[in-house]
Amino acid sequence: MEVPKLQVGFYFDQTRCIGCSACAVACKDWHDIPAGPEKWMTILYNEKGKIPDLFVSYLIRPCYHCEDPVCIPVCPVEAITKREEDGIVLVDSEKCIGKDECKSKCLKACPYDAPQFGPEKGAKMKKCSYCLDRHLEGKLPICVESCRTHALDVGNLEELKGKYGDIKEADNFVYSERTKPAIIFKPKKKI
Amino acid sequence: MENQEETQEEVPIKIVRTTSAFDCGGRCPLRVHVEDGKITRIETDDYEVKEEQLRACLRCRALRQYVYHPKRLKYPLKRDGPKGSGKFKRISWDEALSEVAEKLKEVKEKHGNSSIFLATGGGYQAAFHDGMLAMMRLFTQFGGYSTHYGNVSSEGAVYATQTMYKSPFVGNSREDLLNSKLIIMWGWDPARMISGTDTIFNLIKAKEKGIKIVCIDPRYTDSAAVLAHQWIPIIPGTDVAMMAAMAYVIIKENLHDQEFLDKYTVGFDKFKSYVMGDEDDSPKTPEWAESITSVPAKIITDLALEYGKTKPAALMDCQGPARSAVGELYNRAAITLTAMTGNIGVHGGSAAGGLMGIPYGHMFFRAGIPPPKRNPVEEGLKSVRGSLDLRLRLQARCHINKMFDAILKGKDGGYPFDVKFAYFVNNNFLNQLGNANKSAEALKKLDYMVIADLWLTPTARYADIILPVASIAEKSDLTRPWPSGPYFTIANKAIEPLGECKSDIRIAEELADKLGIDDFEKYPDEDKALKFMLKMTEDTRKEVKNFRKFKDDGIHRIKFDEPYVAFKKQIEDPENNPIGTPSGKIEIFSQRIADLNNPENPAIPKYMERWEGRYDPLSKKYPLQLMSPHPKSRIHSEMFLVEWLREVDPHIAWINPIDAESRGIKDGDEILVFNDRGKLTIKAWLTERIIPGAISIFEGAWYEPDENGIDRGGCVNTLTKDAYSPGGASALKSCLVEMKLFDGGA
Ligand code: SF4
Ligand code: SF4
Ligand code: SF4
Repeated sequence: MEVPKLQVGFYFDQTRCIGCSACAVACKDWHDIPAGPEKWMTILYNEKGKIPDLFVSYLIRPCYHCEDPVCIPVCPVEAITKREEDGIVLVDSEKCIGKDECKSKCLKACPYDAPQFGPEKGAKMKKCSYCLDRHLEGKLPICVESCRTHALDVGNLEELKGKYGDIKEADNFVYSERTKPAIIFKPKKKI
Repeated sequence: MENQEETQEEVPIKIVRTTSAFDCGGRCPLRVHVEDGKITRIETDDYEVKEEQLRACLRCRALRQYVYHPKRLKYPLKRDGPKGSGKFKRISWDEALSEVAEKLKEVKEKHGNSSIFLATGGGYQAAFHDGMLAMMRLFTQFGGYSTHYGNVSSEGAVYATQTMYKSPFVGNSREDLLNSKLIIMWGWDPARMISGTDTIFNLIKAKEKGIKIVCIDPRYTDSAAVLAHQWIPIIPGTDVAMMAAMAYVIIKENLHDQEFLDKYTVGFDKFKSYVMGDEDDSPKTPEWAESITSVPAKIITDLALEYGKTKPAALMDCQGPARSAVGELYNRAAITLTAMTGNIGVHGGSAAGGLMGIPYGHMFFRAGIPPPKRNPVEEGLKSVRGSLDLRLRLQARCHINKMFDAILKGKDGGYPFDVKFAYFVNNNFLNQLGNANKSAEALKKLDYMVIADLWLTPTARYADIILPVASIAEKSDLTRPWPSGPYFTIANKAIEPLGECKSDIRIAEELADKLGIDDFEKYPDEDKALKFMLKMTEDTRKEVKNFRKFKDDGIHRIKFDEPYVAFKKQIEDPENNPIGTPSGKIEIFSQRIADLNNPENPAIPKYMERWEGRYDPLSKKYPLQLMSPHPKSRIHSEMFLVEWLREVDPHIAWINPIDAESRGIKDGDEILVFNDRGKLTIKAWLTERIIPGAISIFEGAWYEPDENGIDRGGCVNTLTKDAYSPGGASALKSCLVEMKLFDGGA
């Protein structure tokens, strides 16, 4: 696979996220995804400790548009591609042969469960597109614009690193060297 | 969107700038995409100063699914089965309103106007299309009606602020929190219940600025999880004991601001003698408070010292803990602490009082164009003006949380009326007031009931006639940021009303026709009314000069030179700006309350253990305190059916593992929660985020009794009590329950 000219990515300030899911609901509205198992954006929850010393964290779970996406080679029909110009990983749902036919190979390969399927039989894979339609119009993804606490940012990954530092770890997140998720963090630790 | 190849549709997209009209704690600008007369997407504020954008929360992000939900009511309905069965048939507006008018005439003739009852809430209401005012006007012109006094949300805080400040505007602009050096959030969870659109972000900025934030709450709330340097779990209902102990430490260490107290308050000496134990030989020491609150004495002492020494500090109480047996005392004690530390009227401080309102953006609320006249049924009563005596408010009314009891018992139960006809607008009170089973019983017994709503709510199921109301997306109106601005918003009509839905004011007009009330002045058209209303109040008259621009922008932001601070004038120049109380000062001791001679309603704030708290003997039978906080994914019971919201916030009960284990309950189990008033089922969520001995169920889930009378919907008010405090707070948080594994019913 060719190395993209540019790699977009996410920045997530885990210390700000209140776990409200406004981003997830906005994503469903923008992309017109019905309520149900198909979720392009999910908020993961983690709780540790005992009263009164508690720790709670949230984590955004879109598709991280990995630098080395492990979902791509496993697809038997090459339905998943990575855009050369910006590194956005896209699925051609028309090409996808459906979750039953290929036994959800992409979902099994992805360490982050980003590939999504509707409830129907033979559902085709869909997932976060980095809001490509908006991106092409020069707009931010809808999740970023919806966050009430400004916990999200996106852009050229290298630039994001310059702005926020190159932190690949966060609570409840494991950086996969194999697939290289394009996300950096302000991780939440105990305050 | 399928993929990048998909071409854009040719239909032009119209962007309508508007807001919701929900009874939430915010008011957020929306950009509604309309294609071919249909809403296709929702975006939020795009103000050029990103950091100051007023971004909508998840609820409004799901507005489209709310507006087009298949269960939205679109046609008038007539009951076609037993009350509560939910069986209805479609009828025409003409049939519906003719029947309602006939019934009204009949009831008036046979039983008099006082048997006509109007039940109003804050459900989906904006300023112009205000169903409450419309129906008040209509029934007034029809000869009068009975109604209730008070609201479910804030009466405890209202009573406290009326007592001590004689003003509900006790809030500072939210960005003023950044001027604080210590923020104490006491029973307040703005991450969920909003409290002003910009509140949570300002708190986050405060934290990032290094301002210490302490959260006192029986739950480790979503706000605490993000903001708190320290979480202090406390037994529900015991806040005043901890506040009294903090006062004790502050006085003992001579940290109280005697100069401030002398100059601006009355009655501190009486409070002091209570706190120091002079009057009852029981000093309110941290050790004393520990035995009540479960908060270690050392933690109370340390916080008191820190609060006493750190200037300025913002003690932020709220309204939730005040929704209890003697709830107003919580806000009164909080105000007393802010006075003792001289934090009132200064930047970075807080006047407490729980309401948090600033006087910008409120004025549209309940204006009434044209307004209703005096209700003939309430003619000749003693004036309630300035009084803190609830009995005066109840001369011709019932307390809101006693509405169904009043319907059930009427004059025999000591109420001022016998209800034969009830009109419900803007509310789902069966679901949202105490003791839902009793409410259902009352509605079954009620002779005739009409409801105007967007949904077939648990309340609507008991109606004889249901009138479908247009959503805010289908109307233009002035909307209110609550409880804070400073900005004004306008709702612009995005789409035509669905089906045969109508606005409440048009319903009132048509009903007036059917009733033959010829002098019922018609409402003006929307633009004319909104323009008029903007001119009606001083603030908008001054601020909003260009109606067209306001309409196009959907919002008018007000710029202050500095953040608004409540009572700044009164503190800086008390000679010319006395506090509105009879003494002209902040009343820690209230003569008006003393005159009432009610031991339940002390003249100074005191800790009192009352019914259905942790130490009520009833706790032997029902050992768990039930908390019913605001949900994050709906506004009370509004938006309950919206699936996008339900899936991100499943209805679960917060339970501490200690309480679960002793009852053999595991995470995810379906449990039965019960007391003498009712039973409900819900999924258990085991979490350290709640203090043992308490259980938390978010309010607003819809009541759904099965054939055995078990509420399978998990409506928290199946368990709560229909009672109120001496100050008029709906005491829904004083509630004891037990739980066990659900065995399937029977
Ligand atoms: S909108 Fe922001 S705060 Fe809310 S869940 Fe998403 S990232 Fe977190
Ligand atoms: S997150 Fe998963 S689906 Fe997305 S690019 Fe990486 S491997 Fe593929
Ligand atoms: S980038 Fe767009 S598609 Fe991806 S999660 Fe965010 S809103 Fe959804």
